[in-house]
Amino acid sequence: MKFVVTVGDASETVEVSGDAGRYRLTIGPEVWDVDGRLTAQGIYSLLVGGVSYVADVRDEAGACVVDVGDERYVIRVEEQTRFIIRTKGGAGASLGAQTLVAPLPGRIVHVAVKPGDRVEKGDTLLVIEAMKMENEYKAGSSGTVAEVRVEAGQAVNGGDVLVVIR
Amino acid sequence: MKITKVLVANRGEIAVRVIRACREQGIASVAVFSQADREALHVLMADEAYPIGPPSPAESYLAIDKLVRVAKASGADAVHPGYGFLAENAGFAEACGAAGLIFVGPPAGAIRALGDKTAARRIARQLGVPTVPGTFEPVSGHDAVRAAARAIGYPLMIKAALGGGGKGMRVVRAETELESALALARSEAAWAFGDGAVYLERYLVEPRHIEVQVLADLQGRVIHLGERECSIQRRHQKLVEESPSPFVDDAMRERLGEAACRIAKAAGYVNAGTVEFLVDAEGRFYFLEMNTRLQVEHGVTEMVTGIDLVREQLRIAAGESLGYAQEAVALRGAAIECRINAEDPFAGWMPSPGTITGLRAASGPWVRDDSGAYEGYTVPRFYDTLLAKLIVWGVDRPTAIQRMARALAEYKVVGILTTIPVLAHIVSHDDFRAGKLSTGFLDRILPALAASRDRAKSIAVIAAVLAEYERLGHRTIVDAPSSAPDWRRGRHPGWRP
Repeated sequence: MKFVVTVGDASETVEVSGDAGRYRLTIGPEVWDVDGRLTAQGIYSLLVGGVSYVADVRDEAGACVVDVGDERYVIRVEEQTRFIIRTKGGAGASLGAQTLVAPLPGRIVHVAVKPGDRVEKGDTLLVIEAMKMENEYKAGSSGTVAEVRVEAGQAVNGGDVLVVIR
Repeated sequence: MKITKVLVANRGEIAVRVIRACREQGIASVAVFSQADREALHVLMADEAYPIGPPSPAESYLAIDKLVRVAKASGADAVHPGYGFLAENAGFAEACGAAGLIFVGPPAGAIRALGDKTAARRIARQLGVPTVPGTFEPVSGHDAVRAAARAIGYPLMIKAALGGGGKGMRVVRAETELESALALARSEAAWAFGDGAVYLERYLVEPRHIEVQVLADLQGRVIHLGERECSIQRRHQKLVEESPSPFVDDAMRERLGEAACRIAKAAGYVNAGTVEFLVDAEGRFYFLEMNTRLQVEHGVTEMVTGIDLVREQLRIAAGESLGYAQEAVALRGAAIECRINAEDPFAGWMPSPGTITGLRAASGPWVRDDSGAYEGYTVPRFYDTLLAKLIVWGVDRPTAIQRMARALAEYKVVGILTTIPVLAHIVSHDDFRAGKLSTGFLDRILPALAASRDRAKSIAVIAAVLAEYERLGHRTIVDAPSSAPDWRRGRHPGWRP
C-alpha cells in the first residue's frame, strides 16, 4: 500500500507491506524492516535492527503530530490515490511553477542564477542576509529559471517574490 | 565625574545586562526601543524607556542623532553602547562627547586606530607582536594584489580593512579564484562597512581562536583578565566560549596577556577591550585584531575572575582608577558559555523568529542565564538571533562541562527553533571534552548529528504511516496491549513541551 507523506514542504512516497506487527516500509531509496506495536493509545514501540524507539502519535487538525526523543514532527499522511486527487496530479503538480519567496526582511548578498538557467533540486539560487546571518536558498525542485526579480545588494521584505522556476 | 543615569544604546540581552549592572550600583537606566521592540525585556526592565523609530536599525539603533537627543532629554550623563550597533563607531563616541555625555568605552581615537585592521596590524608589528602573515596596507591594483598573494601563498583570506564580526571575509584557495573573490569582497565590504578597502592574510587551517580581555583606566594602568577560547564557531561567528582555554598554560597566558596589554597601551586604549589571536597547532600565536568594546562572551571571564566587567566599564568611564594591579587577578575554576540563538541549525542556521510559547530557562548551582527573552515574547525579524547566553561555572573544566550538559537539558524553548540541540551535542562530544578544539570543529561534527536527526525523522514517518495503515484496517496490534506508563514517553521524562 502506498502513501504520500508530507513533512514541511517536502512530500515523498512511502510503501508499506506486511501485517501482524512485522512491516516493510520503503521510504525513498531506503528499506526499513520494522517490528511495530501499538503499546497504548497513540504510543508506538518500534524495533528497527534491534534498536528500540518509542513514538508518540496523535492527530491534530488532520495532521499527525509525532514525538520521537526530544523532537516533534508534524506529518501529513495520505493514501497515494487520495493525494493525487487532492493535488490534481500529485507529484506532477510540483513540476509547475516554483516560487522562491523571502521568508524574512533582509538583503540579497549574491544571486547565483539568471533567467533561462537550468537548475537541479538543491542548487543554490541566491544568498540572503537576514538577522545578521547569511543564508543560501536552494531550488526545491529541478526546472528552468523563469524570472529573477532581485539583484545583489537589494533590500527585500518578507513575502517578496525573488525567483520563479518553471 | 559621577555617573547617575545611563542611556543604554542597545537592545536584547546585552541591554538587560547593562541595566542590571546599573541597578546594582544605584545608577538609573534609560532604555531605547524601535517599533519592533516595544515589548522587549530591556524596555520592561529599565527605569525609563523611549521610542527611537522604525524597526530598521539604520533608523533606530544606529541613528546617532536620535540617541544623543534622547540621552540629553532624559537627563542621562553617560551612554553605554553594548556590543554591535554603534559600539565600535568612533563618530558615535565623538557625538556623545560633543553633547557632554560620557561614552562608556574607549576614546574615539583608539576606536578609529584599531577599527582599521591594517593599522592595528601595523601597531602589532611595531611592537614585535607576531601577526598572521599578510599585507599591512589595503591592497589594490591587479598585478600588485597578485604579487602580494603569491608572496603570502594560498590558501589565503581576503578581509575588509574596516570589517569585523566575521563579515567581509573570503577564502581564496587558488590564484584562479583571486580576481572574482576580490571583486566580491570589495563590494561586500563597501556595502557592510562603507569602505571597500581589503587586505590579504594567510589562511591558517583550523586554528584556535583565543582572545585576551584587557581593562585600562584613565590613569594609564592596563591589565589583562586572562583568555577566552572561542574556537567553536559557525560561519566565523562564535557559538561556545570558555575561560580559561584548555590549550593555554600559565606561561602562554603570561605571554598572550603581556602582548595584549602592550597593544592596548600603544593604541591609547581606555576601558574594556579584547585582543584576538589565532593560535596554530604548535602553540604559535598571531595577533588578529582588537575589539574596542565589551564582547558578547564577557560573562565567562567574569565567572572565573569574579570581576564584573560592566561595573568596571562604568567605573573607568567615571574616571575612577582600577584600584588593583595585575597580581590581584586570578583565574579560578572554569566557565563555559553557550549561545542560544533563534536559528534552525539543521536548515543552514536559518533564523527562526516568532513567538516563544513556552520557556523554561536553566537554573541551579553556578548557572547563569543572560537572556533577553521571556515566555510570550516575540523574537522580531529585524535583529540578530541571539536569545540568551547560558553560562556555567565549575571548579574545573570537566565539572563545568557536566554542568553545562545538565543546564542545556533543562533549558526548554517552545514555539521557535534554537541552537540548543546542537549545543547539547557539542558539549557531550568526546573531542570537546578532550579540549580538541578548532574553528573547524562544528563543520566536522555536524554531519553525524544531522544523520542521527534524519534517523529520528524516519522513525517519526514510520510511526505516522503505521498509524494511518492501521486506521485503514490493517491491524498493528497483534495481542492485548500492555499500557505503557507516561514516563516511557520521552528521553527526558517529567517535562514535555
